[in-house]
Amino acid sequence: MPRDTSKQTEPALTDVRQSLVALIKQADRAGANALLDAWAARHGYEEVFKVLLEPALIGIGESITGEKHTLAQAYVAAKVAEDMLTRAVNQPGANAYAEPEKGPVVLGNAEGDFHALGRRMVATMLRSKGWLVHDLGNDVPPEEFVDQALATGARVIGVSAMTMTTAQGIRALRQELDTRGLTGRMQLAVGGAVFLVMPGLVEEVGGDGTASNMFAAPGLFERLWQASLQAETIHA
Amino acid sequence: MHSAARFNNLLHDQPTDRRVFTLVLSLYGARLTACPLDQHYTDPVAYARGQSAVRETFQPDVLFAPVSVALIGAAFGGKLRYLKSNAPTIAQPAIESAGDWQNLHIPDPEQQPHLVFVREALRRMVAEHRDQVPVAALFLTPVDIPMLVMGMDAWMDAVLFDRQAARRIARGLIPFFVSVANGYFDDGAAYLVLPCAFASPSIVPRTIVEQFSRPIMAEALAQLRGPVALHHLDPPLLPHLDLLADLPAVGGFSLASADNLSQARALLGRRPILLGGPEVRLLRQGSTGEVEAACRAVLEDRRDDPRFILCNSGADLWLDTPPENIHAVRRAVESWASER
Repeated sequence: MPRDTSKQTEPALTDVRQSLVALIKQADRAGANALLDAWAARHGYEEVFKVLLEPALIGIGESITGEKHTLAQAYVAAKVAEDMLTRAVNQPGANAYAEPEKGPVVLGNAEGDFHALGRRMVATMLRSKGWLVHDLGNDVPPEEFVDQALATGARVIGVSAMTMTTAQGIRALRQELDTRGLTGRMQLAVGGAVFLVMPGLVEEVGGDGTASNMFAAPGLFERLWQASLQAETIHA
Repeated sequence: MHSAARFNNLLHDQPTDRRVFTLVLSLYGARLTACPLDQHYTDPVAYARGQSAVRETFQPDVLFAPVSVALIGAAFGGKLRYLKSNAPTIAQPAIESAGDWQNLHIPDPEQQPHLVFVREALRRMVAEHRDQVPVAALFLTPVDIPMLVMGMDAWMDAVLFDRQAARRIARGLIPFFVSVANGYFDDGAAYLVLPCAFASPSIVPRTIVEQFSRPIMAEALAQLRGPVALHHLDPPLLPHLDLLADLPAVGGFSLASADNLSQARALLGRRPILLGGPEVRLLRQGSTGEVEAACRAVLEDRRDDPRFILCNSGADLWLDTPPENIHAVRRAVESWASER
């Protein structure tokens, strides 16, 4: 797609961001995509992510923490991000968004957990921030998490659990990591509704960190990745 | 005064000796009878035995027929996974998207084994406890059943991005919903509990409730032969309560511990029964003193509200909830009554 460099009718960036947030809040996926495509035509998809979509998603994430948004609106935001990723990787040449530059990381639902929505939304957010994500799906046994993380070179495993019962199952994954001597080197991110309402549960199941919502997940994975590097340096 | 008389007096604005209280102890019955959970959720005799044990041990004023929404998804063809310490879950939905709905077979409530199990368990419980303890049953409205059939992602997708198809699917489920729900009433259910996902403020914005969920719920509920209590699911329901207030057949609202009951009462008027109380997490992890204090705080808050039932907020109590915490709820109700 040739880049349109005309600035004559360029709306202010803050106005465009506000329009994007409003469209997402209205669950207007097509409208949000049209707005982002128009911006990409002028500036390229990389700019779309950096100056438009990412700040909008962070703003929505912050307001979700304040309970101003619903799961439906977060879902629309994830879908819009996913749409942009798909468009970006399919664009030829200079206008394309870069290939994943971070990771890889491994994601999955804890053994016995089949609530995929949150995990998928987190995967989309991570990919939109340049992470290479290996999504193992639902009901992943602890051994498989670790095997796949080792096979792909992941430093962070993200585990999603919706209920108290399946969250308790993460202990077995913690034990698997420790038994294989991967403590610190392989970081364990845990998430899901139950962690938001049960203070102390992250530590109880052996998690290294959690995020309050999908928009905060990339920041968490960044921190844990760095922690993994530091742990390796210390042990080297 | 026994539980049925207490419950009946509450409904008809007659005096009661103490507050009506209940806890959702559907799963917990298996603990009391040491019943494996795959049997607990397939064998109506075993389930009913568990609820008899619940009554004998804790003496709640309302008992519950099997509380497992996954059984509804399984009835449509979803793959069910029985768990060791929780109600079963859907391991794989029956279909993957709203587009597959047209090929789906709507189960026959009289024949489908999972639906027959719930109904038979209800019948047995009613036969055993009818004149002594009311029995409530759980079901889902037509706007929420599809999430068990195709998964949350696919149903969310349809509701958000293909509203016409979502409306067609939900409206198409109304006869099934009415058939099952009225079957429960025919079998003696005192009321139905209907969790509200696609009417919850944490899941959908008001516009979706107004334009999609509420009209379908209204059409479905208008055909019921008994009362229902709308349930908050887990997060607060108050921000959408005004949208649900005057739906047909709705006699009560089960609210979250974070909901302001006074605001709810002001919004709803004096008629609907309010249900509220300590959340399942406190019952599992708190001390007996904390549980008792939480119950007394709610009872004190509702001191001048006769149409109130003390009930746990959230879903079914966890299997590892300490029994002394369940006893503490009852103790709080009785001691609070004796002090008045």
